[in-house]
Amino acid sequence: MSVTLSRCLCRVLSRQTAPPSFLLGEHHHTVQSPWFAPVMTLKTSAPLRAEPKKKKKVDPRREQMLRERMRKKLKKLEKVPPELIPIEDLITPAKCLDETRERSAPRLSFEESEGQALLLKEWCRYKQEQHIAEVEAVELALEAQREALAELKLESEELYQAALKPDPLLFPFTHEGPAYTPPKTKYEAPDGKYNNITKVYTQ
Amino acid sequence: MLQSKMAAPCGRMATRSLLHFLSFSRTAVGVTGFRQFSRTSVSRATSQTQSLTGKASSPWTLMAAVCLQRLPVVSAACSPTEQRFREMMLQLELEKSLLSEHELRLLEDAERMSRKQADDYDSDEEDERGDQEIVLAQDLEDSWDQKLKSFQPAPRVTADVDKDLSSVERCLATSLLLLAQQQVGGEKLWLLPQSQWQDGETLRQTAEKALASLPAAFKATFLGNAPCGVYKYKLPKAARTESSVGTKVFFFKAILSDSGPPAAPNAPFLWVKKNELQRYLKPAYMMKVDRFFLDL
Repeated sequence: MSVTLSRCLCRVLSRQTAPPSFLLGEHHHTVQSPWFAPVMTLKTSAPLRAEPKKKKKVDPRREQMLRERMRKKLKKLEKVPPELIPIEDLITPAKCLDETRERSAPRLSFEESEGQALLLKEWCRYKQEQHIAEVEAVELALEAQREALAELKLESEELYQAALKPDPLLFPFTHEGPAYTPPKTKYEAPDGKYNNITKVYTQ
Repeated sequence: MLQSKMAAPCGRMATRSLLHFLSFSRTAVGVTGFRQFSRTSVSRATSQTQSLTGKASSPWTLMAAVCLQRLPVVSAACSPTEQRFREMMLQLELEKSLLSEHELRLLEDAERMSRKQADDYDSDEEDERGDQEIVLAQDLEDSWDQKLKSFQPAPRVTADVDKDLSSVERCLATSLLLLAQQQVGGEKLWLLPQSQWQDGETLRQTAEKALASLPAAFKATFLGNAPCGVYKYKLPKAARTESSVGTKVFFFKAILSDSGPPAAPNAPFLWVKKNELQRYLKPAYMMKVDRFFLDL
């Protein structure tokens, strides 16, 4: 708008200045050279009209706000929940559903199936007896310990308190359980090699 | 609960804690309980010293013994029921399963062989590998069998070692208990290794001392600070005095981790199973030991 104003002013002034030169000199029929600008128009010429651009404080802030908003949108898009690692044990492999792998089920005679059912019941009874015996044995052992602690308390309070203290050096306690055959003395096991094909998943 | 009861019984709490004492002890040790209790009821400040001196004035001598157990090295043999059940389960599992890769390969090979041996065999019809050496699955099985036969495992049961009572290697399928021959009173008895309690040590340290005093170097892990059983006996009336009515032996359980070098053949040790305890221990002693020596 300031440009148009200055243009109007220009035109007005040029109109005003034109007549005096006209009046001044009819003998002055000089062509106004374009380079010879009248003084009045000095301040309003285009190059001098250009002002240093005002730093608008709102702009950088606005840009920053825009950038932050973009970043937040990106973050929301990237916030995908991590993919769950599949439990391979629970996935039935396709090989198992292959029909060619089925065995022909043998037909059992009546006696055989009866025998199996009776054996299952016998096993149940056997295991129950075993369990009851185990529980009783453990109860006896606990009883023996309780008695021992009672006797100790009667004897000496200090020793009793020392006996009740937990033993920090006991755990971790490991013991190799029974195997099928005893370990061979001076046996050198051959080095084996293996290919580890377990799939490692990263989230 | 126990802590509050034992927190230095004072005079006014006398009757209440006395009743607790009497109901708690099942044996007829009321006399000693009374005596000790009256001593400890003097004052709070001297209760600590009282307990030590209270011990000294108690007529029972304390001893600690170690119940050293060698756990089974080999799995136990199956009983007849277990054997039959095992066979039945294996058979059922085989019937319900699917054919494995190896079995499929065996079937394919058998089929191919039968096709080859048929009269109208045309090798051009075979659409698989031609010049490659075909390893039959049966050959693989045979080679595996050969490898297994070349390995001799150690025997599970050795009859002559089983009879040697002083060897640790006997009866690998059951747990064994260590017995040592010790002089008690006038006679030599088979007992769990024990030693007398000295002032200033806990009973577990006494038990460890008992284990270390044996001529053989056994490495064991003691299971906790608490005793697992107690055996007390009163001296015959002739030997009884004011200061010694009898002995209380507290047993501590330990598991053998390393037996070290084999002991001399005449070493006074026995490794016994639970059913052999009766032969070597006195009946009253055995009754107490039987309870906490589990053969599960």
